[in-house]
Amino acid sequence: MSDSGSEKAVIRLQVNGRELEGVAEPRRLLSDFIRHDLGMTGTHVGCEHGVCGACTILLDGDAVRSCLMFAVQAEGSVITTIEGLGQTRDDMDVIQRAFWESHGLQCGFCTPGMVLATKDLLERTPMPTDDQIREGLAGNMCRCTGYVFIVKAVKAAAEELNARASVDG
Amino acid sequence: MVSSVRPRLFGARVARVEDPRFLMGRAKYVDDITLPGMIHATFVRSPFAHAEITSINVADALNVKGVIGVRTGRDLEGVVKPIRCDPVPIHPTWQTSAADAIATARVRYVGEAVAMVLAEDRYIAEDGAALVEIDYDPLEAVSTIDKAISADAPLLHDGWRDNVILKTSVSGGDVDSAFAEADGIIKMKVRTNRHAAIPLETRGTVASYDPAEELLTFWTATQAPHIVRTGIADHLGMPEHRIRVISPDVGGGFGVKAHLYPEDLALAAIAVELARPIKWIEDRREHFLASTHSREHVYDMEVAYRADGLILGMKSHIYVDCGAYSVYPWTAGMEQGMAMRILPGPYRIRNFEAQAWGVVTNKSTLGPYRGVARPSACFAIERAMDRVAHAVNGDPVDVRMLNLVDGSEFPYESITGLTYDSGSFKESLQKVRENIDYDEFRLIQRDARAEGRLLGIGVACFTEQTAHTTTEFVKRAAPIIPANETVAIRMDPSGKVTVHTGAHSHGQSHETTIGQIVADKLTIPLKDVRVLFGDTQTTPYGTGTLASRTAVLSGGAAMQASGQIGERLKILGAHILEASVEDVELEEGQVRIKGAPEQNIEVAQLARFVYHRAEKLPPGFDPYLEATGAYDAFPGSGTFANASQMAIVEVDPETGGVTILRYVVVEDCGPMINPTVVEGQVQGGIAQGIGGALYEELIYDDEGQLLTTTFLDYLVPSTMEVPGIEVGHLETPSPFTIGGMKGAGEGGAIAPGAVIAAAVENAIGIANGVFVDEVPLTPERVRKLVVAAAQVRGSDR
Amino acid sequence: MKPARFRYFAPTTIEEVVSLLAEYGDESKLLAGGQSLVPLMNIRLSQPAVLIDLNRVTALDYVTKEDDRLEIGALTRHRAVAESKLVQERFPAAAQAAGHIGYPAIRNRGTIGGTLAHADPVAEMPCIAVLNDCEIVATSSSGSRTIRASDFFHGYFTTSLEPTEFVSSVRFTSRPASHGWGFSEFARKSGDFALSAAAVDVIFDGGAVTQVSIAIAGASDRPVRAPLTEAALVGTTLSRSEIEQAVSNLSSELDPPSDAHASSDFRTHLAQIMTERALLAAAQSER
Repeated sequence: MSDSGSEKAVIRLQVNGRELEGVAEPRRLLSDFIRHDLGMTGTHVGCEHGVCGACTILLDGDAVRSCLMFAVQAEGSVITTIEGLGQTRDDMDVIQRAFWESHGLQCGFCTPGMVLATKDLLERTPMPTDDQIREGLAGNMCRCTGYVFIVKAVKAAAEELNARASVDG
Repeated sequence: MVSSVRPRLFGARVARVEDPRFLMGRAKYVDDITLPGMIHATFVRSPFAHAEITSINVADALNVKGVIGVRTGRDLEGVVKPIRCDPVPIHPTWQTSAADAIATARVRYVGEAVAMVLAEDRYIAEDGAALVEIDYDPLEAVSTIDKAISADAPLLHDGWRDNVILKTSVSGGDVDSAFAEADGIIKMKVRTNRHAAIPLETRGTVASYDPAEELLTFWTATQAPHIVRTGIADHLGMPEHRIRVISPDVGGGFGVKAHLYPEDLALAAIAVELARPIKWIEDRREHFLASTHSREHVYDMEVAYRADGLILGMKSHIYVDCGAYSVYPWTAGMEQGMAMRILPGPYRIRNFEAQAWGVVTNKSTLGPYRGVARPSACFAIERAMDRVAHAVNGDPVDVRMLNLVDGSEFPYESITGLTYDSGSFKESLQKVRENIDYDEFRLIQRDARAEGRLLGIGVACFTEQTAHTTTEFVKRAAPIIPANETVAIRMDPSGKVTVHTGAHSHGQSHETTIGQIVADKLTIPLKDVRVLFGDTQTTPYGTGTLASRTAVLSGGAAMQASGQIGERLKILGAHILEASVEDVELEEGQVRIKGAPEQNIEVAQLARFVYHRAEKLPPGFDPYLEATGAYDAFPGSGTFANASQMAIVEVDPETGGVTILRYVVVEDCGPMINPTVVEGQVQGGIAQGIGGALYEELIYDDEGQLLTTTFLDYLVPSTMEVPGIEVGHLETPSPFTIGGMKGAGEGGAIAPGAVIAAAVENAIGIANGVFVDEVPLTPERVRKLVVAAAQVRGSDR
Repeated sequence: MKPARFRYFAPTTIEEVVSLLAEYGDESKLLAGGQSLVPLMNIRLSQPAVLIDLNRVTALDYVTKEDDRLEIGALTRHRAVAESKLVQERFPAAAQAAGHIGYPAIRNRGTIGGTLAHADPVAEMPCIAVLNDCEIVATSSSGSRTIRASDFFHGYFTTSLEPTEFVSSVRFTSRPASHGWGFSEFARKSGDFALSAAAVDVIFDGGAVTQVSIAIAGASDRPVRAPLTEAALVGTTLSRSEIEQAVSNLSSELDPPSDAHASSDFRTHLAQIMTERALLAAAQSER
């Protein structure tokens, strides 16, 4: 039997505000763990070498590639996936809504990663220029849109968020 | 006539109805499907481009805990027929290739499947795959077109005369006289390198066989579920009613998912054998190696021109690299036929001859990719236009304007036999010239040159055959003719509608645009219409979403079917309102008496009556609201969209880097159902075209090893490489189609190679013998041109 | 493909790390940001039997200064290096280079120790490391030693680290006020690996150059310095013509490899251009 016997480990983490746990052997990629063990298939896998950005999630608030982490590494961490944003039409996040209204998606495969990368970008740079938007999303490939309406969506989302912030403030 | 107060949805910038599920992460792609008892497959693939398989030892792989089985080509012999996709009728020069579902004796490209390993999960399957021992006897690889056609080339396929799978030609006019009368003749050779569609989602399948129902259910990421079903049936000898292909949400296709793959057959056969669900998700490396490739063409051309820049005649030898096999159902002839016949493009070239060779090489098989051959053909003819403009010292826009087919000439029969039904060739060029401020740019360019900055502008025009059906594909000798698309519509008792189309939508927005058409026709809100697709069990047979056909053909069929339902609603409404059918109209979701809208009945009420109050129906009125429409856009020669594209680039002469400063398009796809959707299609197509123009190239070495198997090597443009794209519209209706619609899916991708090449050439300062003749324009290629141009001018840097 | 099996350890202290290394040495790999290692593992080009994850060793995540020394802990993410005020003040070229690495999500994970130990010849931080011949601190169960960057990189993905050692920090000498610097990079596509990158560091005295260092990535199997070109620039004022003159001989000290993306000649040419641009940027600095 060629079985190296690497033990499966229990992994506890917080995903989208819920405390979850799963069991995985050390080599299991975080992307596979989220998708197939936790059943949240909104996180997509486009290359498994860290370039396409489809698997982008927020790990302790930062956008990261879930295909370049092992699930065991996420023990104790706080993760946001696309399922952590709006899950009905009425409670859609500003970014989700902006992508909808600006036709910022076509096939939808890059969209979850793109939306989460946008969230990371707008948290660090609340009023980005077009160039900053393009730099901020350079690691998220989209093969459908040509990015024009994505940039427009991010700009619209930034404006909406800033307008809300100034009202709240 | 009473005009409708309700604004039409056709033509409106409606936000997409399909978006929420994608934005919430609730879409279902094939890898999101998990079935009880599902096992996982991986393929062991050939590391050699060309080799005999001498032995396969699976014992160690089978010993891995969790490995369920290993299958090789021998296990499928007699179960799965090899894919032999020949034209019908067979062309006299055609030679037949046979692609095994899993290779049995010989491999013909790196990445060809040699064994399948099945295991409890994909990780274990890979552990098993690593232990499958395969001995090969390597053969000399044929890695280039030149090598394939050389006299002493090794043959890929036994029994062939040579490596030419198909040799075709077309000619018209009097080429010899045209050349004799010409003021000048240009000889040129241009090349487009190998590209691929590279959707962000790779291929994937979940195959499940239910022996009790004798039903194979095959979830797969395809643009053409019915074609895949027929393909499985043809090759496995299964009846189609025992096969259900479901193409769920698909993460982009662009052509590469529009046909049958060997892996499909292997997965189908083994799912039937094991009666256990099997999942296979192609990884990115496999996608580069074993999904279809496109656009590797060489054009050897001679162009005869008059002193004013009018092209008098053209001769061309075209070589297409077809990879190893003939793709089902499009055949290996798919690119050369298109290349040859669309080469004159939107230009009036009346003396023309072209010969085309499709050659097989030890590379992944040729398949469709957005634009099918036209990005290459457009590159060739537009390079010729710029050469002619340069030769006659003319302006590139003016020379094109001189050669474009005029609006008064439609329908225009091209010298290669294509019928251009309508268009705005000159108008779009004129408008794009204005939108980019062409004349002002020339001043900016001059000032920039004075500062040592190299700015350039480029232009290309094209016409794009869309929604072509029977006559066209008969001409192409396609074994399966993509004719009509069929749409079935049902109105339920609540007056809401489901639309079932045999086509697909994977980014094209058909849930919205077909919905717009149906909602308009029935005068109901868009939210009352659901467009369903992708399941062969519930949708009418269709070719699928490819070849820029769905809006026109499925849209046309939907218009017909919803019209039929509307007529039945009027019959019933007139009966209830005690009026004659001629005196009622369908407006605002009601059947009304014309001129007396207060006398009306709601569509929803009528629908309720149809299903639940049979006593209210007129005699002979069948109690259902269903209709099927089929539409083939007769005469089937296609409707031609057109566009002109221009770009301004800056070339860094030191690094060879190219930055696109502006990209401006004026396109004409006829009346637009949803202009925002059209713009998205155009921008996305241009982004892919920019990839092919500057970044993307599948590079094989002399041994046939693919060197570009990751996104670090095959460079897909990001937000930083694609500029803002300014899209302008013209709307010339087609006389051939319902609503005058034309296809819009592929157009954007056709011209960017030509546009960027022209702009780079213009920036560098065209000099004798220094022309852009190849894409992608990598920094090194651009730098070489800069150096060559400087040498011609006699100064460096 | 998917990664092969491995045994996984997640130590939380440096002591645990070195004892694991002492035990598993050769058959182990250290996992830091994982942005280079995990892609290789995912296609099984790397199949370590044991993976030692450094991410919980929080003691390795810091940027400190002491006298004229700037020390960056191995686990410091590229984003933190790029955004660190301390790095921006004391070794601005390092901050800028870190900001050039990959994409935001890559910089959120990738670490300075990881990229140095990975020793990719086209990566940014190894180039920065050799620029002023910084000290790389290698730690094992027998203690720490410092390795000069010039002795650290041995070729493609190989370093002078012993199997029982790991990079625990990197120490730069803070740049004086009268220093100039530049970093220039050319990649085929944004965020992609550089075809060529150059970093320069210049010390002026009264407007003239007294000391200059040039580091180039993409011109060899490791980041290299250009001593002849450096020497030719000493005593100049870093005028454009002096720079062009000096850089025109750079090709004599470079012999880059050819690959699918660029020929040796083109890489040489790009190295010249990047060096020239980095020098021109340095010349703009206050003196």
